[in-house]
Amino acid sequence: MGDRARRLRSARTDPANDAGELLQRVARGDEAAFAQLYDLLIGPVFGMVRRIVRDPAQSEEVVQEVMVELWRSAAKFSPERGSATTWAMTLAHRRAVDRVRSAQAAADRDDMVGRRDAGRPFDEVSEQVTARLEQEQVRRCLNTLTDLQRESVVLAYYGGRTYREVGELLSTPLGTIKTRLRDGLIRLRDCLGVA
Amino acid sequence: MTSPDIHALTGAYALDAVAGVERADFERHLAECESCAQEVQELRETAARLALAATETPPPDLKNQVLAQIREVRQLPPDTTVVPLRRRSVAQRLTTVAAAVFFVATVGLGVVVVRQNNQLDNTRAQATQLEQILKAPDGELLTLEGSGGDTGSMKVAVSRQQDKMLLLSGDLASAPDGRDYQLWTLAGGKASSRGLLEPAHGDITYEVGDLGDADVVAITVEPDGGSPQPTGDPAMSAELPTA
Repeated sequence: MGDRARRLRSARTDPANDAGELLQRVARGDEAAFAQLYDLLIGPVFGMVRRIVRDPAQSEEVVQEVMVELWRSAAKFSPERGSATTWAMTLAHRRAVDRVRSAQAAADRDDMVGRRDAGRPFDEVSEQVTARLEQEQVRRCLNTLTDLQRESVVLAYYGGRTYREVGELLSTPLGTIKTRLRDGLIRLRDCLGVA
Repeated sequence: MTSPDIHALTGAYALDAVAGVERADFERHLAECESCAQEVQELRETAARLALAATETPPPDLKNQVLAQIREVRQLPPDTTVVPLRRRSVAQRLTTVAAAVFFVATVGLGVVVVRQNNQLDNTRAQATQLEQILKAPDGELLTLEGSGGDTGSMKVAVSRQQDKMLLLSGDLASAPDGRDYQLWTLAGGKASSRGLLEPAHGDITYEVGDLGDADVVAITVEPDGGSPQPTGDPAMSAELPTA
């Protein structure tokens, strides 16, 4: 356990630790800390939400909701249960997915776009060096997955699809999709050194 | 749901790819399975890296908007209690299902169009119908709810004496492509179809008679045209008062 905790800690990047500290200050109503936390998290939150929601106006709405929710529920974060960055990204992903799963929004989206993008998750090259390094590492690790694992993970995470939808899009039985998603993430976890 | 298969859902769950009653079931399972919870946490840390890799520069004015907004928002207190999850029967479980497909803002009269002949002409007829049920000695107004705070609700007026109920919808979004909403009543776990619901604009309510022994009302998402028995995720449901 001690070993695992140490590995978990060392695997966390500095920004993640900063985020945890900032979030605890935010929980006490510290607006300056919130402004710093915003700078730290807005890039990934914005990029991920936009990828899922796609519509620029709606994406911005969701991003605003997410950031305000981080402020509102900062006290609910408990560091024992994981990093602050993960907590924030989990919240953001859930919000984005909730938005696109409202049926009207789902109807507005083009299934084929999601499918076409599955093969190339990163269209834009980020300007920021740290983001580019992260992108490079994730891309390399995604490439260690089998095609089906990678496509499933990308459709679910960046596409906001349920695993049932992923099964339909890839014409693959649901049991297989479940296992591919899990195996794919485990392989990704090990490659990225998350634990 | 206690099949060993449920463990395989950790990956899908960490990616928010499990919806509806399945998600609720899995969350109950997580509360009891420490190794699953640990795995989900690690896989979420992993998924968060996918977000970091998607980093994009937001519009510059967004920050000031958010900073202005938080000044108006009161913060929540820290969690001090843990509410234990109860074990539930299948019928009870149906009452707490997620309603991601519903995007219901309020309880206001709303938007269910029914393909059969249950459409009412106008809001006045609607109100009269509602009044009739609610003025019965056992008239009750229930809320159909999905799990989670922001999933919205739907109202059901029911009277066992009159042997009928009236559904009032808020903003029921369109069913996903190739799917329909289907309404069911359950009596002792046995489901009877009560027709398809098709959302559109307008103030329309849906009346259902011959309740018989029904103890649960539920709405599921089914393949286009509906199913003889529910197969889709229950999106909303409620227990009916006993006769």
